[in-house]
Amino acid sequence: MSPEALVHAASLRKVYGAGDAAVTALVDATFTVSRGDRIALVGPSGSGKSTLLHLMAGLDIPSEGTIEWPAIGPITALRPGPVSFAFQGPSLLPPLTVVENVALPLLLAGEGEAAAASAAREMLMRFDIGNIADRLPEEISGGQSQRAGLARAIVGRPRLVLADEPTGQLDHETAALVMAGLLATLDDVGAATVVATHDLSVAAVFPVRWTISVGTLTTEVAPSLV
Amino acid sequence: MRLAGQTLGVAVAVAMFASLGTFFASSRAEMTSRAVSSVPVDWQVRLSPGADPAKTLATVTGAPGITVAAPVGFADTGGFRASGRGSVRTTGPGQVLGLPADYASTFPGEIRYLVGAHDGVLLAQQTAANLGAGVGTVVKVDRPGQAPAQLTVTGIVDLPAADSLFQAIGVAPGSAPIAPPDNVMLLADTAWQRLFADAASGTTTTQIHAELAGALPADPGAAFAQVVGRAKNLEAALAGGGLVGDNLAAQLDGARSDAIYAELLFLFLGVPGVVLAGLLTSAIASASRPRRRREQALLRTRGASPRRIVQLAAFEAVATGGIGVALGLLVAGLIGRAAFATSSFGATHAQALTWIVAATIGGLGLSLATIVLPARQDARTLTVRGAQAAIGTAHRPLWSRLYLDLACLATGGLIYWQAVRGGYQVVLAPEGVPTISVSYLTLLAPLLLWIGSALLTWRLATAGLARGRGVLAGLWRPAAHGLSGVVASSMSRQRRSLSRGLVLMALAASFALSVGIFNTTYAAQARVDAQLTNGADVSVTTAAATGLPATLAATVRSLPGVVAAEPMQHRFAYVGNDLQDLYGIDPATIGRATPMSNAFFSGGDAQASLATLAARPDAVLVSDETVHDFQLQPGDLLRLRLQFASDHSYHAVAFHYVGIAREFPTAPHDSFLIANAAYVAQVTGNAAPQTLLVRTSGSPPAVAASIRSGLGAASGATVRDIVTQQRITLSGLTAIDLAGLTRLQLVFALVMAAGASGLVLALGLAERRRTFAIASALGARRSQLATFVWSEATYMAIGGLALGALSGWGIAFVIVKILTGVFDPPPEQLSVPWSYLVVLGAAVTTAVVAAGVGMLRATSRPAVEMIRDL
Repeated sequence: MSPEALVHAASLRKVYGAGDAAVTALVDATFTVSRGDRIALVGPSGSGKSTLLHLMAGLDIPSEGTIEWPAIGPITALRPGPVSFAFQGPSLLPPLTVVENVALPLLLAGEGEAAAASAAREMLMRFDIGNIADRLPEEISGGQSQRAGLARAIVGRPRLVLADEPTGQLDHETAALVMAGLLATLDDVGAATVVATHDLSVAAVFPVRWTISVGTLTTEVAPSLV
Repeated sequence: MRLAGQTLGVAVAVAMFASLGTFFASSRAEMTSRAVSSVPVDWQVRLSPGADPAKTLATVTGAPGITVAAPVGFADTGGFRASGRGSVRTTGPGQVLGLPADYASTFPGEIRYLVGAHDGVLLAQQTAANLGAGVGTVVKVDRPGQAPAQLTVTGIVDLPAADSLFQAIGVAPGSAPIAPPDNVMLLADTAWQRLFADAASGTTTTQIHAELAGALPADPGAAFAQVVGRAKNLEAALAGGGLVGDNLAAQLDGARSDAIYAELLFLFLGVPGVVLAGLLTSAIASASRPRRRREQALLRTRGASPRRIVQLAAFEAVATGGIGVALGLLVAGLIGRAAFATSSFGATHAQALTWIVAATIGGLGLSLATIVLPARQDARTLTVRGAQAAIGTAHRPLWSRLYLDLACLATGGLIYWQAVRGGYQVVLAPEGVPTISVSYLTLLAPLLLWIGSALLTWRLATAGLARGRGVLAGLWRPAAHGLSGVVASSMSRQRRSLSRGLVLMALAASFALSVGIFNTTYAAQARVDAQLTNGADVSVTTAAATGLPATLAATVRSLPGVVAAEPMQHRFAYVGNDLQDLYGIDPATIGRATPMSNAFFSGGDAQASLATLAARPDAVLVSDETVHDFQLQPGDLLRLRLQFASDHSYHAVAFHYVGIAREFPTAPHDSFLIANAAYVAQVTGNAAPQTLLVRTSGSPPAVAASIRSGLGAASGATVRDIVTQQRITLSGLTAIDLAGLTRLQLVFALVMAAGASGLVLALGLAERRRTFAIASALGARRSQLATFVWSEATYMAIGGLALGALSGWGIAFVIVKILTGVFDPPPEQLSVPWSYLVVLGAAVTTAVVAAGVGMLRATSRPAVEMIRDL
């Protein structure tokens, strides 16, 4: 295992519930995410994409197997900062404006209020939603909310960005624009990314695709699929 | 948690309402039954001159509701004389009563046998003491117009109800002496007939003493009206043959104003509690309204009609309301048993059923109002998108735009000022008049002040959050550091829910504080009352003309546990035709034995008043009423008639009016006089004190017991201690029920204050679990999440408690002023229940800390697990 690896997992298994009600979401997943990786995690709904991303982000713990972040450190060092996450559903904090939401990871990391607000506004401009900076989450559309969520995931210049269906509420055209913007921004900050999607057109812009089906992860993708 | 909270809120409201029903019903019924049971003879029918006793007895016996009637003869005597140990003792005028053989068993409570036989020639204890007589002593009875009769004493008795037994029937109040005769002898009716058959005209009268059937209305007012009506009916039937001395009505007369005060206490102390419980339930429902809206939005996107949504809400409301009502009634039953010794909600089955039905309707109504109405409103007016909104647009409510809070405070203040600026009484129950006047307008004062202060609290809380974001950020900076701005912004945008929580907490604190202050002030005044009634820690009194033994004070001073013992004369003096109690004191030493409160004297300076009295030997302090009635000015000559030892007759004595005494130990409330003991002794030729006031350092009952044993049973003196006296005072009509009510209120206030703070905060925080989970997923450490939680908790708790304390104190002040009639004497200042406040503060702090810690503990779960669960 390379010390440069951002995430390294071996034989990961995740089971929800217990006994007869137990549901296996992930089976024997082994993988490595390295610096600069651009990975699309493709699979149908309920295949285990979100579960895998949550484990990679350290937001959840595996039932079996090991997961490490060699280039970052222990799980407690992941956030705020090195690893960020963009959620699938609405995830902006309702009582905070869009710019306050985007600035929040910086504030949690100890940055000053003015610098955090300035960086947040800049990031919102990059995602073309600078005009909604001072609105509350309930005053913007679902698409704008998702873009704000992506902006918030990147504003702290993380080393790994994990995004769960970041374009789920966008039309194809806007989704393509957003993904292009995301990748460009990621290039600027030098972050690796894993984006979960069931949209093949979104996955097409990523050089690497992992597939997941009924909890089984396949990290080697046939060239014909690319 | 939401459903449990709502159920609990309904249960608290129902329990409180039903408990108040128990208090209300039981107190009224108890007041009536206590009044009835405390009267030894319900009616004393005084026969008019020339009326036929047998005929009158038949008419009285035949009157509806009369269970028993017996004739009693009253004969005047010039006095009694007894000789023994080489001296002859003579008393002043007295009365000789002729009683049927079974009188004592028919009217228990009228005669208490002390020494000797229960029949024959019985001497009243005081008379025996005056004569130095005992069983076997031969007493000469002066009979007007006849030769003295010689009788041998067979027993000594006490007449506990002498005041009513010797009342002047059918004369205008104040036109006859109110004190019972000093000298009384009881004879069998046959012996009395023999002795006074040829008595001079006008020196004997006959009364028919009667007992009424116990079935009276539970309400003292209704019972009073019924008894008065029956008495008038009997007088009409007697057609001038007799007048009714209505002891029962007199007793019920006092009880009915107590009943009105109980009603007012119900309104002042009970209703706010029920309203608060309702508001608490409403706040619990409101705290979860955003979540309910989101659920509704989900249902609507899946095709549920508004009607269906309202039906589901109604089902939830009925389920939570039903469980809450059942739980509340159960708790009320248990509370009733503990506080009022009954688990019935009324004096009768119908009353109990009414309260149960009312509590059930109230509980279900509350549940429907707090769940269905908002759901119906949301289903009709909100779009799916709007329903998903968590913050919402901040509209300025109508009351705020109309400044209703300030209008309520101003109007309440005006009504209060109007009410208290003159000599004001909220309840006016003129003696003997069946109707009671209650100033209901005055009741609006605390109500308006309560509503106004709640709305003003809301305005201040909202304004503070809306406009004070910078100040809040500054306040939180030491704890929240870089997050202070975000925390302040977050709080500012959630001002509606935070203000609601703060107001609720303020109302709960205000309720608890006002009830606590009222209770403590009442208890303090009860102690003052007991002190005033008893005179000192221990008091020794005698009605004997010879007074207490001259050596008693010195003997008592040497007893263990006695700090000081001061003698005091208790005489009667005529001011014009008005017979008043006169107390002869030594102004320099009286304060050693009993506290001389400034409130006792006009001008509020006890020391100065006593110095003025001491400065002039013939000085006299007079009651307010007498000064007013006789138009006295300081320095005026006041000729009082006092009984002289030389001839037992009343003679005019010159005094000079020097000041007003409002209260004095052992003195009656209305009119009395305070003079220098030395001067009274000099002019009357009698220095004997009738009272000894004793201050103790140990247990008053123990000191009282040792004085009692030192004096002996036949001394004729009564020894009372303040501990026992207070127990008797607190067993009075209003007091016993008020104790139950305040105990109930204090517990409810505590529960609601803790519930309002803990539950509302917990529910508010629980509604934002997703927010905290997301913040946690973004990397917020526990300490950072804690800044969000504790800043909200601190704002609500400190703001709520501070504003609540302010309004609670104000409302307690107004209630105490308005309900002055409940206090005897009125308090000089409010008493603060510090220990209760400490418990209250601890309960609120514990609830707030528990809610906050619970929330933070919940965030320690993996963030995604929380997000998934939500």
